[in-house]
Amino acid sequence: MIRTLRALFLSRLLREKVLLVALALVAAALWLSNLAGRTAVFLVEERHTTASLADQARWLAHRNSVDKVAQDAARAFKPEQTLDSTRLLAAIQDLATSSGLHNSYTAQPEDASTGQFSVHTLLFTVNKADYPSLLTFYQALQKRAPYIAIEQLSVMADKANPNSLTAAMKISSVEIAR
Amino acid sequence: MCASPLSILRAGPPPPKVLLLPDALFFVRSVPAVVDPASDGGGDGASQVASQVELTLEAASPFGLGQLYHGYFWVPGSDRAVVFAAYRRRFTPEQTSAWSGADLVLPTFAAIMGGAVEPATTVVLSSPEGLTAVCWDKGPVPADVRFQPIPPEATDEERQLARKELLRGRESLKIIDLAEPPVAGPHRGDGEVVFRSGDFVSRLPAGSARGLDVRDKEELTVLRRSRARDVLLWRVGVGCVVLFGLLALGELALFGGSLWQRARRVKFNAQAPIVAGIMTRQEIADRINDLSTKRLLPFEMLRAVNPKNLSGPQASIFFTRALTTGLYTLTAEAQTLNAGDIKTYQNGLEALPACASVVIKNQQSRDNLVTFTLVVTFKPEALKPMAPAP
Repeated sequence: MIRTLRALFLSRLLREKVLLVALALVAAALWLSNLAGRTAVFLVEERHTTASLADQARWLAHRNSVDKVAQDAARAFKPEQTLDSTRLLAAIQDLATSSGLHNSYTAQPEDASTGQFSVHTLLFTVNKADYPSLLTFYQALQKRAPYIAIEQLSVMADKANPNSLTAAMKISSVEIAR
Repeated sequence: MCASPLSILRAGPPPPKVLLLPDALFFVRSVPAVVDPASDGGGDGASQVASQVELTLEAASPFGLGQLYHGYFWVPGSDRAVVFAAYRRRFTPEQTSAWSGADLVLPTFAAIMGGAVEPATTVVLSSPEGLTAVCWDKGPVPADVRFQPIPPEATDEERQLARKELLRGRESLKIIDLAEPPVAGPHRGDGEVVFRSGDFVSRLPAGSARGLDVRDKEELTVLRRSRARDVLLWRVGVGCVVLFGLLALGELALFGGSLWQRARRVKFNAQAPIVAGIMTRQEIADRINDLSTKRLLPFEMLRAVNPKNLSGPQASIFFTRALTTGLYTLTAEAQTLNAGDIKTYQNGLEALPACASVVIKNQQSRDNLVTFTLVVTFKPEALKPMAPAP
C-alpha cells in the first residue's frame, strides 16, 4: 500500500506535492505545539500531585508518633490544674486586677483541640498601664507556667507620656481532658 | 467515473512509465569495459564505464555524441558493456516530446537484458519491423545484439527464413522466442525495474537502468534532480505521517495520564481531611511541648537590652515600641538625640553573652531626632527568668 501511495504522490504535480507536504508540516507543527503545551501542564500537575501525595504519605506514616509526642509533652501537666478557655479568661482577669492593671480587655479565646488535648489562646490588651504594674502582672503569669504561658508580647509607649504603656499579650493555656 | 481511493490502493502501485523504442533505429556494439578500482574512489566503476562508452561511440559513430540518443548496459563486475545509439533526427519532435513524462526510455531489446539466462542463450524478440536476437555467451551482459528487418507484408515462411538468417553463425544452447514485447511490471521500489514477456522476466537494477535510458544526458540529470526532490518531499510527507502517529500515541498517553492523575487527585482529596487532622495534632503537640519546656521571657529581654543597664554613653536611647517574635527575638523601635550613640549601643549589645545577633536598621533622622529599629536575637536558654515578686 505504501508503494501505491508513493507512486500516487510522485505522480502529482510539483505544486500539489509541495502543498500536501506543507499542509502536513503545518498540521504536525500545530498538533505538536498543542500537545506539548498540554503535556507541560500535565507534567506540572503530576509533579505537584506527586509531591502532595508524598507529603500526605509522610504525615500518615507519622500518625502514631504525633500522638506519642503529644502524650509525652502532656506528662509535664497535671490534668486537674490545666485550664479551659473560661478558666483561662477568669485567671487572666484575676491576675490583672490583683496587679493593678485597669483598662484591660480580652478577645474571644481561640481553641485548637484534638479531643484529648486542647490549647486555648486569647489576646490580652491593657492601655495606659505603668511599667511596675505590667511587670507584676507578668511575674504573676510566670508563676502559673506552664499552665499559662505568654506566646507573644507587644509593648508601646504613649507619645505624650512615655511612662504610660499599651501592652498586648497572646496568652495560652493547655487543657488535658480528664 | 473515478475509481474509489480504496480500489486505487487495492490495485497496487502502477507500473513505471517506460517507453520502448523500435530496435531498428539503433546500432549496437559490445565493447570491453575496464574498471580501475584505484581511480574510482570506492565506486562500482559506473562512471568509468560511462566515459569509456562515450569515447567508444565518438570513435565508432560518424555523428557526434550531441547528435545521438545513446545508452549502454553494464553490470558491476562485468568486463564488457553493450552500447547502443540512434541518430537523433530519426525521431520526430512529437515522439521526443512524449519522453519527458517517462521514467525510462530505451530500445525494446534493452528491456530484456536483465533476464536471468543460462550461458549460450539467445532470446529472439519479434516486432512488426523485424526480429531482434539478444545473445549471451557467458556472464550477465549480452555478447551480441542483432536485428533482422522484415517487411510488414512478409508471410510466416518469410519470417521463419528471416529468423534462421538472424541466428545463422551463432551457436546457442538455448533459444527463447518471445512472442510479446516486454512490459514493465509494477514498481517494487527504486531498486530495480522489472520487465515481463510471458514467462520471461528481466530484472534491471536501478544503476543499469539509468545507463539504458537513451535520452539527452543533461535532460536526464535535470529529471533525476527533480526525481530526488520529489522523493525528498515524499520522505518529508512520510515523516509527517509518522509524526502524526507518534502524536496520536502521545494523545493516548496523555489521556491515560489524565485518568491516572484524576484517580490520584481523588485519593489526595480523600486523604486531605485525615492529614489535616494529623497536622493539627502535630501543631498542638508542638505547642504543648513548647509550653511545657520553653518560656518566652519578654521582660527579661527588655531588661537585657535596656540602654541604661549597659555601660557607655548610650543613655540617650529610649524605646517607643517592642515586640517579640518567636521565643528568642525582640524587635524594638527606638529613638535618640545622638546618632553616634547607636553604634556604641550596638557594640555594647554584641558584647553581651546572651545575644546571638544584633541588627540595627531603618535609621531615619528628623529634627535632630534619630529613629531606628533594633532586632536582637538571643541565644536559646541564655536568659534566666527574673526572680518572682514576693
